[in-house]
Amino acid sequence: MRIRCSHCGERDNGEFSYLGDATLARPDGMEADAAAMYDYVYLRDNLAGEHRELWYHGAGCRAWLVVTRDTRTHTISDVSPARDVARTRRTGEAA
Amino acid sequence: MSEGMTTSAWRPRSAWAGVARAGRHGRLQGEAGVRLTLGDGMGLATLIAADGQETALRQILTDRFGWSLPEPGGANVVGERGLVWSAPGQWLAIAETRHALDGLAEAVRGLAAVTDQSDARALVRVSGPCARMALSKGLTIDLHPSAFRTGQSAVTSIAHIGAQIWQRNEAPAYDLTVARSFADSFWSWLDHAAAEFGYEVVGTSGH
Repeated sequence: MRIRCSHCGERDNGEFSYLGDATLARPDGMEADAAAMYDYVYLRDNLAGEHRELWYHGAGCRAWLVVTRDTRTHTISDVSPARDVARTRRTGEAA
Repeated sequence: MSEGMTTSAWRPRSAWAGVARAGRHGRLQGEAGVRLTLGDGMGLATLIAADGQETALRQILTDRFGWSLPEPGGANVVGERGLVWSAPGQWLAIAETRHALDGLAEAVRGLAAVTDQSDARALVRVSGPCARMALSKGLTIDLHPSAFRTGQSAVTSIAHIGAQIWQRNEAPAYDLTVARSFADSFWSWLDHAAAEFGYEVVGTSGH
């Protein structure tokens, strides 16, 4: 599998390390109940299909990326800098 | 302390000292396929732009140093001076000596963080007719002219060793740096990769 880094272009997947689900949003620790925190920390969906996930380009530009990958075929349909995704999400929340 | 006591026994030591030996190595017949020029005494420094200051940084580097800040994957090097892209908002400044970078940190104060890397990296120039073939053995990026040309750079790894590489000209000649502590391991790989072409090690005092 090769990943087209937003900054560096297409690279061998050995240059990256995988973190996990990029769609999770941490609940407000002061407000959320124990069940919601438990869900956030431990429970993951094991999708067969398109998955948005976090990858770190450690051997390259050292940037975090949000990769949209089909878990059945490893086809990657989108790669975005995680910083941009986080900023968009924050702006979306504020709006 | 008396004046006589201030004389230090410490001397600058090349990152390649005890690692690279000048002369001809590997295959000895015919012309050497790879030429390795050791980049000793060069000035290297990382520049990391402060949030939102990239435009101002770009302007001051052009005005004060005549440098243009390269786009992602680029290297704007003229002669022995210039800037190589490293990561989003980060570049490597290079110059023929470390003193040539004096004043850089002061010039960009408030716009970017500057960290001297002159002693932190080992730099080697790889050229010669078989340079591309030798490097391709360890790089996972494509060095073919259709994919990587003069003025392009990459941060990647060679034989699991982190490396930054940029192409200087169409000969082709590449400049490549690794962390100084990896110089020995990297050279061990390079020696094996270049041996079949025959390689020549030159220069230990600047370029």
